[in-house]
Amino acid sequence: MHRADITKPAFPGSRRYWIMALAMVLFLPPLSFLFQFTGDSNFCGTWCPRMFFVWRKGATMDAYFMGYMRSYMGAILVFGILLTTFFFGRYWCSHLCPIGGTMEMGSRLVPRFLKINYAKIPAPAFRYGYLSVYFGAAALGLGSLCCSYCNFATIPRIFGAPFSGADLAYFLRTAGLINLGLVLLLGIFAKGGRAYCNLLCPIGAMDGLANRAGARWGRRVSVHPAKCNGCGDCVDGCPAWAIDLTDKTARIDALSCMPCGYCETACARGAIGYGKSLLPISAPRGKAVYEKG
Amino acid sequence: MRIRSIITLVLAVLLSLVAAVHRWGDSSHAIGLMSLNGGKARHPSFLESGWDRYAQITTARVLPPYRGDVRVVLEGDPPLDYDIRFSKPVVDLGLRRLPDFRDDILYGIQPGDRLALWVLMRSFPTDPVCGMSVREGDLSHPYQGKIFFFCGDGCLASFRAEPGRYKDKDSPRGKYNLAFYDTRSGKSVLKVPLIFKGKEDSHASGGHH
Ligand code: SF4
Ligand code: SF4
Ligand code: SF4
Ligand SMILES: [Zn+2]
Repeated sequence: MHRADITKPAFPGSRRYWIMALAMVLFLPPLSFLFQFTGDSNFCGTWCPRMFFVWRKGATMDAYFMGYMRSYMGAILVFGILLTTFFFGRYWCSHLCPIGGTMEMGSRLVPRFLKINYAKIPAPAFRYGYLSVYFGAAALGLGSLCCSYCNFATIPRIFGAPFSGADLAYFLRTAGLINLGLVLLLGIFAKGGRAYCNLLCPIGAMDGLANRAGARWGRRVSVHPAKCNGCGDCVDGCPAWAIDLTDKTARIDALSCMPCGYCETACARGAIGYGKSLLPISAPRGKAVYEKG
Repeated sequence: MRIRSIITLVLAVLLSLVAAVHRWGDSSHAIGLMSLNGGKARHPSFLESGWDRYAQITTARVLPPYRGDVRVVLEGDPPLDYDIRFSKPVVDLGLRRLPDFRDDILYGIQPGDRLALWVLMRSFPTDPVCGMSVREGDLSHPYQGKIFFFCGDGCLASFRAEPGRYKDKDSPRGKYNLAFYDTRSGKSVLKVPLIFKGKEDSHASGGHH
């Protein structure tokens, strides 16, 4: 399909927003629909996706795998995310995750002049510095980032707080207020709403690695170098700051891109598409073929 | 670009390390097992004395064959003003049976249940010299922008003589317990120790979670 005649839609990726909203209803309070199958009301517990894989100093193998048992739904979720990302790209993050979804949807309600632009920060460098401490501090017994600063704990409780005293209690403590501040500053008030995802989410960080690892075999959003004229129209609106202009060609960093599809619609020349592609990194310039999948 | 990335990486590592190592002393989390033989807390909760309010999260799993109703009490001296909140779905769709929580009693606990309780605590004013509970309106004395209360002239005089020695001692110290009692037998099914430490000795403590 040729995209040359498509003008920028007023509400890019609106189908994605509907899917995100549905995921939020299914996951978040007051309904907490999916959690109730296991007797939970939020991610903490059976569904915790952030703790089970972290090895703590002094833990035996048994204790380590007990963590997997305790959060078995979280483990299924995370392995499912990484596996689908390997083949299809980070659809969990771009379409389904109610945590990233809340922050991105929230940021759309904030007037433009209040938004903070974090795009100057080289996101992968920050993200993987953070991730190394996420694993390292626990392994060395220095402390932990798992529960104390957790996006998956904070956002469901924002939705639950008006109804539930237990959810409100989460914010009546210093750590809770800091978490709220991080979600507001790096989420709701961030341009694009995804600075938290991009910098401080361990799931997103691991997912980025899976995205990069599978880039050669799986389907991804990528730029057709021969069609790109380097106008840069796609660069600014990318919520993951994943697009770089080098040598008058746009390039998408697989460590950061979640296939939100914004750039696809922003490019008037139809140079960006999703599909099984030979990424320019592995193919000689100009030879990259991508078939729309 | 390279250099900016390296600086960012180093900064991220440092910031994350500080965040990982530092604990905010006004809240802590403990995990426990509830059972007929008294239950077991995996580790005590450490809280840092001197905050206005504290929050403690206890998550517990119920070991078979225990079932029953459980009264939850925060025990310790001087007594604290506290409020226990039970975490359950806002709209209960009835997909899974959950215990009911009313007036600090958990009704209908069954084997395999996982419970999450939030305990919000606030200390009553305490005489910093003798540790007795006092009331606002009792003998008082301002010091460094804070008002201290005393049981009598003796303690007030001691405070005036050495305020530095007593000024941090008007908040809870030592060991408290979040205790769970079976309402029928009165037997304890779980005790979670909550330990209030002074600022000076709380940093080295474990209890990270
Ligand atoms: S980066 Fe984390 S919070 Fe953001 S969408 Fe992905 S999993 Fe969700
Ligand atoms: S990919 Fe499209 S929008 Fe981006 S720089 Fe190239 S031509 Fe412009
Ligand atoms: S590169 Fe394109 S698809 Fe990927 S996150 Fe950025 S705008 Fe979305
Ligand atoms: Zn006294």
